[in-house]
Amino acid sequence: MRQVGGARRGLDMWLAQRASAVYMALFLPLFLLYALCAPSLDYPRWRALFLPLGMKVAALLFVVAVLVHTWIGLREIFIDYLHCARCTMLRLSLYFAFAVLYLACLVWAVDILWSVR
Amino acid sequence: MKPERPYFLDLAAIRLPIGGVVSILHRASGAALSLTIPCLLYTLMLSLRSPEDFQRVADWFGGIFGWVISMGLIWALLHHFLAGLRHLGFDLGWGEDKEVARKTAWLSLLAAVGVTALIALWRLA
Repeated sequence: MRQVGGARRGLDMWLAQRASAVYMALFLPLFLLYALCAPSLDYPRWRALFLPLGMKVAALLFVVAVLVHTWIGLREIFIDYLHCARCTMLRLSLYFAFAVLYLACLVWAVDILWSVR
Repeated sequence: MKPERPYFLDLAAIRLPIGGVVSILHRASGAALSLTIPCLLYTLMLSLRSPEDFQRVADWFGGIFGWVISMGLIWALLHHFLAGLRHLGFDLGWGEDKEVARKTAWLSLLAAVGVTALIALWRLA
């Protein structure tokens, strides 16, 4: 049977993990600063934050970064603890389940952000 | 022939070094955060949907249950963030020296707890 994975994929994942971390580390403090600068964060102000297209795009990229980062992180945990010979199928099933869950979250996030008009 | 090596596996006496503590908490906080993503999206959806739902979210976070859960999440996020910055530093070759690495491990551990405590006080005030 062909082996699942390859020597180079790990390096790609490692890099994607770092790249998504950098985006989150830049976006999150700036967003919190921006959001908390409002004197009192009531509903109209909270909604108005997400009105500009730029904020929708930046927030969606943040969601993408979170999901990519999380999926790779969980993959790493599964690799560390589920490495017995018969665990491969279980591990692949978990990759699949979380990929479906997080892709669904991505589509959901688009709907949430673009519902603000 | 395999060389005989000394080993020490007295689990009651082994102490994880501070870097190991920060590392396992980084993993645990990451795993916990990964499971909260759908809940956070649901909260975001409610908060943006209508003034009534926004108020429901605000009330929930103000209640004892929501307060405790959100403080736990804030700690997990802060710890994961700070320990993650430390790891990014290692990737660039910064702070790999043993003494420096121990100091930054303590710093990220204590800063996460400290900032969480400050936020808790601010939210109670």
